[in-house]
Amino acid sequence: MAETIVDVKDLTKKYPPNIMAVDGVSFSITKGRIFSLLGPNGAGKTTTVEILEGLRVQTSGEVRVLGVDATKDYASIRQRVGVLPQNFEPFDELKPWEAIEYWAGLYDRKLSKKEVKNLLEIVGLADRMNSISKKLSGGEKRKLGIALSLINEPELLFLDEPTTGLDPKARRDIWHLTQEISKKGTTVLLTTHYLDEAERLADDVAIMHKGKIVARGSPQELIARHGKMTMIVISGAGSEALREIRRRGIEATEEDGEVLVPVKDPSEMRVIFQKLSGIELKAKDMYTRRQTLEDVFLNLVGAKMEEGVLKP
Amino acid sequence: MSRVLSDVKGFGKQYLRSKVGAFFGFAFPILLVLLFGAIFTAGGDQKVTLPIQNLDDGAESQAFIEALNGTGLVKIDTIPADADIDDYISEHSLTLALLIPSTFSQDVQTILSTNGSGTANVTLYGDVSQSTFGTAQAAVETAIVGMNYYLSNAKPVIGMNPPKTVKEGLKYMDFFLPGVVGITVMTNSLFSMSSLCGEYRQRSYFKLLATTKLRKYEWLTSKFIFYSMMLLASLLTTFAVAKLAFNIESSLTPLALLLIPVGAFIFVSMGMLLGVVVKDPESSVAIANAIGFPMMFLSGSFFPISSFPGFLQTVAAVLPLTYFNNGLRDTMVYGNNVSCLVNLGVLLVLGAIFFVLASRLMSWTER
Repeated sequence: MAETIVDVKDLTKKYPPNIMAVDGVSFSITKGRIFSLLGPNGAGKTTTVEILEGLRVQTSGEVRVLGVDATKDYASIRQRVGVLPQNFEPFDELKPWEAIEYWAGLYDRKLSKKEVKNLLEIVGLADRMNSISKKLSGGEKRKLGIALSLINEPELLFLDEPTTGLDPKARRDIWHLTQEISKKGTTVLLTTHYLDEAERLADDVAIMHKGKIVARGSPQELIARHGKMTMIVISGAGSEALREIRRRGIEATEEDGEVLVPVKDPSEMRVIFQKLSGIELKAKDMYTRRQTLEDVFLNLVGAKMEEGVLKP
Repeated sequence: MSRVLSDVKGFGKQYLRSKVGAFFGFAFPILLVLLFGAIFTAGGDQKVTLPIQNLDDGAESQAFIEALNGTGLVKIDTIPADADIDDYISEHSLTLALLIPSTFSQDVQTILSTNGSGTANVTLYGDVSQSTFGTAQAAVETAIVGMNYYLSNAKPVIGMNPPKTVKEGLKYMDFFLPGVVGITVMTNSLFSMSSLCGEYRQRSYFKLLATTKLRKYEWLTSKFIFYSMMLLASLLTTFAVAKLAFNIESSLTPLALLLIPVGAFIFVSMGMLLGVVVKDPESSVAIANAIGFPMMFLSGSFFPISSFPGFLQTVAAVLPLTYFNNGLRDTMVYGNNVSCLVNLGVLLVLGAIFFVLASRLMSWTER
């Protein structure tokens, strides 16, 4: 049985006067997995993570990290945990190699020049090692943050919204880096409000909303459990095509000018396409759309999420 | 200890590379020394310009003007006799003027010949709050006394030798340098620590530090060590500039060097306390300025405290910078090490109070 790295039971955190930021959350993370807390801003993700990092004290509940009570004995596991806080900004005036040397010293470590360079190569910053940190791009700053969080070779890495505000290329770079770190056996707890990020990276996802976990499982399990089936989308076909499709006994709906044909079982796909091929459709495009975590989130929460904000 | 040294090194590089840190640590005290030194030691004409409207054409008024010239305190300027003096003062934005009335000589003669009891008066116009007024008033009174002696055939009995400086060879810069050092120690430690705490809280650096093995007291200690080292280097640089530029007589004593870390200790602790108590970074900087700037002027950095009104002298007595400036002057200027040690003791006690309060109230994590 896989080793449990994080174990949270009935965790609550109440802020004055009466705000329940985390409301009875329970989950566990097994060794080597990427676990994602997914939810909009204010869902309670960062509060939960900061309790796990020993930075906040819970109102009630049990929190065990790497086998110890994080509330009472976090100091004993500090050396084994890496943290990238939300909105990380490096120390402006230090060069990346200096920042790494400095941070290593705070863990009682003295890194050789080669070790510093290796770490910067891992995060893809070797060619920027002599630039002043304030001149790094947003993505490079986060990479430096990840490099700092890896200095003590942690068994557990907390990444709190590592790609918020970054451009698509920088996001993909951080995703790749996170996967590489995970491949080396490090357990990762990732908080994010990007559905595609959780779907792409996480082995295990907990969707948080208003302080509670509303769904939990792998992205595939969540889609299977809470999403709809795969759809054949006939773009620009219109109402006439919809009537013709239905007349052939195919279930279909129309949304924004697109005719949607649900495929309940993948084995039905061939039969449906055969039936559709007999119809002369004036369509712009026809393709299949796989359900995503976005659809799951919409079904569970009743709203879409854009940059961490719920949109009805 | 290695964590403390790592933090000293990492933080030190950041501080010294920031333009603000380098300016206030080194450029600011040197600028102050050069600027004030140029103003107060370059000699130049120290006389106050006194515009005079003489409406009298008699010999007595001319003799009075000569007596004024003879005081060496004023440089005489002339206001035309046909001008209205009030309008002239207003149009020329004068802060000083002297009116000799048209009957001045005649009045003098009348009083002398009749042995009358009145006086022939001149009128001094000016802003009593300005120091130039005091100089002009002293010149006018000196001229009046001189003329009275002359006209009454009396001679002065009590006189004064030429003034001497307190310690032979001392210059204005000798008195001013400890004040500049005091300001440098205070601005760097107090202002930067209060803003640093705000910035660290805003950027979540405290949380980040809390995830490392560095402890809170180690961080506080590293800041104290860094500021002590930086301010010692600043003192040595500023002293060297003052010595080279103005050939000052005061000396760099071991007690002066000891006062620097003690000053860093008290003002770093004060800055931390402010940064901890006032949560909003902008407010903490504003409050640090509100405390620091009055302290700069009221603690005798620029002017001797003895010249302040009584209530301000009482205020000065409770300001830590007063004890720092006094201690530094005691040892560097007067060689009075006993008095310096008393000031140093006061600073240590105050510093310990601020340090304990700051370290107790500071929290890197949140409840």
